[in-house]
Amino acid sequence: MASLRTRTRPGTSTSAARRRRTPRAASTARDWKLVTFTGVGLLGLLLVHMIGHHFVVGEVGGLRNYDQVLDYIAHPVIFTIESFFLLFVTVHAMLGVRSVLLDLDPAPAWRRAIDVGAVVLGLGTLAYGYFLIGTLASRA
Amino acid sequence: MRRDGEATDGPGLPTRGARDVRGPVLKKGVGVTPTAWVDPRGRALGSFAFSVNRITALGLVFYLYLHLGVLSMLLRGEQAWNDFVRLATTTVFLSLDVLLIFGLLYHGLNGLRVALVGTGIAPDRQKALWWAGGVIGTVALAYSAFHILVGEG
Repeated sequence: MASLRTRTRPGTSTSAARRRRTPRAASTARDWKLVTFTGVGLLGLLLVHMIGHHFVVGEVGGLRNYDQVLDYIAHPVIFTIESFFLLFVTVHAMLGVRSVLLDLDPAPAWRRAIDVGAVVLGLGTLAYGYFLIGTLASRA
Repeated sequence: MRRDGEATDGPGLPTRGARDVRGPVLKKGVGVTPTAWVDPRGRALGSFAFSVNRITALGLVFYLYLHLGVLSMLLRGEQAWNDFVRLATTTVFLSLDVLLIFGLLYHGLNGLRVALVGTGIAPDRQKALWWAGGVIGTVALAYSAFHILVGEG
């Protein structure tokens, strides 16, 4: 196995390899912590979202009608919970998609494009989501 | 394929966990293709769980944007939304809701398992946690399916 290592990284000293790997390793660890944090947070937020939206309504499918949706989203506590839910689910989704794409081992230029794309898509999702929540709450 | 938290001996080499997997030698190879996770068949429990976790993740991301698109009907007014609700309460759409609940339960419970193992809270209980999540998820899915399709409970 050691000879394989030598062949795949010719001329790479331990300190040079550490210098090259450390920023990426730290970034990966930070991303994993963020995915875990948002994921655990989502468990609670999703539970509230699903029960509040779909499981307290007695009709088939658990879907609210238009007026019920507006009344529900305008409640300050629900509005706050839904806002956090949107934030957490967007961050979690963008980090997850980025992780899947980075596992394809793209070239550095593509890696940067993926990072930028995830940020842009995430910000766009948040902007649209908050616009939607705010508009609906204001109509109640 | 490298899973989070698993060490390798170098780029392109299989993880230490992968080398310990029982199975035909030819399947082990020197690393696997980056897209091998797409096919969960014939894998050990950990790899199977990882594959399904990713498949459900991509499905949930697709649903996230579908959901946001559907909610835009609320912006178009009461008639548009109530028309959609009538469509969404047909059996076909409600069955897709059950599929969505499965994805949420699997991804959530498996994610919790990964968090417990990865953070060191239960590092050597990954199989037991998977089966426990399976039992909890099955019960929750059965309850949810009954509630969605029958509307009571």
